Amino acid sequence: MVTYLVGALNGLAMGSLLFAIALGLSLVFGMMDVLNLAHGAVYLVGAYLAVALAGDGAGPMAFVVAVLAAAGAGAVLGGVLAGLSRATPHHLDQALLTLGVSLVVAELLSVFFGNDVHSVAAPAPVAGSVTVFGESYPVYRLLVIGFGVMLAVGVYVLVERSRLGSLIRATVADRGMVSALGVHTGRVLVGVFAAGAGLAAVGGVLAGPILGAAPGLDEKVLLLALVVVVIGGLGSVRGALLGAVLIGQVQALGTTLLPEYASFLVFAAMALVLLLRPAGLLPARTAVSA
Amino acid sequence: MPVLPAGPRRLRSGTAVLALTAAALVLSGCAGSSLDQSGGGQAGDAVKIGLLVPLSGVYAPLGEDMRNGFQLYLDQHGGKLGGRTAEVVTADEGEGPQTGVPAAQKLVTQDQATAVVGVVNSATALGLRDFFHESKKPLLVANAGADDITGARKSAYVWRTSFANGKVGAPLGAAVAKEVDGGVYLIAADYAAGREVVAGFRKTFEAAGGKVAGEKYTPFGKTQDFQPFLSAIRGTDAKAVYAFYAGAEAVSFVKQYRQFGLTDSTPLYGAGFLTEGGVLDAQGDAAAGVKTALHYSSELDTPRNKEFVDAYRKAYDEAPTVYAVQAYDSAAVLDKALANAPGGSGEEVAKALAGVGPIDSPRGQWSFDTDHDAQQKYYLREVRDSGATMVNAVVSELS
Repeated sequence: MVTYLVGALNGLAMGSLLFAIALGLSLVFGMMDVLNLAHGAVYLVGAYLAVALAGDGAGPMAFVVAVLAAAGAGAVLGGVLAGLSRATPHHLDQALLTLGVSLVVAELLSVFFGNDVHSVAAPAPVAGSVTVFGESYPVYRLLVIGFGVMLAVGVYVLVERSRLGSLIRATVADRGMVSALGVHTGRVLVGVFAAGAGLAAVGGVLAGPILGAAPGLDEKVLLLALVVVVIGGLGSVRGALLGAVLIGQVQALGTTLLPEYASFLVFAAMALVLLLRPAGLLPARTAVSA
Repeated sequence: MPVLPAGPRRLRSGTAVLALTAAALVLSGCAGSSLDQSGGGQAGDAVKIGLLVPLSGVYAPLGEDMRNGFQLYLDQHGGKLGGRTAEVVTADEGEGPQTGVPAAQKLVTQDQATAVVGVVNSATALGLRDFFHESKKPLLVANAGADDITGARKSAYVWRTSFANGKVGAPLGAAVAKEVDGGVYLIAADYAAGREVVAGFRKTFEAAGGKVAGEKYTPFGKTQDFQPFLSAIRGTDAKAVYAFYAGAEAVSFVKQYRQFGLTDSTPLYGAGFLTEGGVLDAQGDAAAGVKTALHYSSELDTPRNKEFVDAYRKAYDEAPTVYAVQAYDSAAVLDKALANAPGGSGEEVAKALAGVGPIDSPRGQWSFDTDHDAQQKYYLREVRDSGATMVNAVVSELS
């Protein structure tokens, strides 16, 4: 029983990270219809920034600096991607374009940081373990859960309760109408793209002490983020949250219960959702709601 | 601006695109590309050697070490192998047979290499076996560990300067059975190498009276978080753990093994790849106390190794790894064999390889056995803090 409780806790930690990463992907797709395949590369930029700035055994300040630097770098990359992807309205072209960007970014990272696997130490004060349900558990992962909860509340208030949020939701629902009302939707789009990419890069820093940084990690993370978005539904904050928590739990508990099928459970969950709710569990409310 | 289609339809097609992309990412391997270097004709007093190592993909760090090791031997010997100027043609092995096999074929058919050295991936090595066997060209495997390469599928033209998976696992079995009072849990990545190493360990471990407390194989290349498996280990009465992981998985496993507090209660043993080279740098303090068995450590206290380590550090500004030594020794083997094969035909070189005798290597003296595999000493190593970095200190020699 204790094993499952710790597993569930661990699922929450992974879910928190996935939420931070998948949120931008979901909003950008829901809003701009752009499938940003460079999202994983943006994540990896964050992870390598953590390696460069926080490295091994850095203090909390260095870690905070890394988070801020990642947010900035991610936002810049997101802005560039937003600009690039507006050049063509076709799904496939955009996917290829962003895929190309992701390959270039990944190669640049491997030129600068080498092909070795890097790890990031959790900041010193929270690097230890505490006893949870009778087992020792890393303090850092508990903090990640806390961050996930704060992020979820913060984004919920921003998107569902603020004026800016209503603009974002309206743009997701019907871009043409918002544009017709005299709002410059281009700016909203670039803003959301940049914020989403910044969040993914911050996710890369925060995931550093858990997943490290290595070539190829971008694809693994992008894949999980896509699964989260498919399960949760496009363009919705609540969907991304539900999808992330669900995938976190499927990974953690699934591995505990059915280790032989661990690598395929996540995709089984996605297939099931696609069969039962093709638009995802909590898709964004749209202009012509049923 | 194009008119946007109605909401729900747009969303549904969007989901389909996403799902398809996810599927494509799952299915597609990462295709590497081979480095094209134009091949010229064979010069009169030169010999052309193909170096097939991964320069892209997850094995790239190994490939770099191997290339460095091979190059160091050439630099120390005036660029000559067997008295002839060596012309090295490098090709990118990539991650698997789909890139490695064509790259090797290009080295032999297009570049007309006299022999090919390298190969990290076992599937690539096994996939190349028939090609080298039939075209009668020597292949010196400098890392790929599948037991079959020098076992069931051995060939007169395939020689291995590195190790067989089963033989890496075996030496530690008796030592762990003696050191650990209680059951030992076996955990490894779920692919041929993981299963072969663990099987090799298990055989000698059980023969020496050891008891297995549990056994688990984790999805290869897909496991980033080992918490569920570590929790399962804690749920047994295991007194120690034997693990096989390499690369990124080795880093995650060893770090999380400490984070989840198993290090103090259950000592960790493993095959040497668990803490070798760049992997150990990334693990840092978390790896302290991990005991592994391997046929090399940069800390080996012999004059031959000290001289090698100094030269390697001078050339590349880092400590050599087992991968560098394996390639270095491959060059040494070729140097000896080519001296006795003036014609340079595949048959002649293969025959000369059988007569190279003992190799004076940084890892200690070794020689080919009757199956063309390296017969060598294994060392018990323990990760210790050397002040600046963590190192694999040599505890003792294993039989």
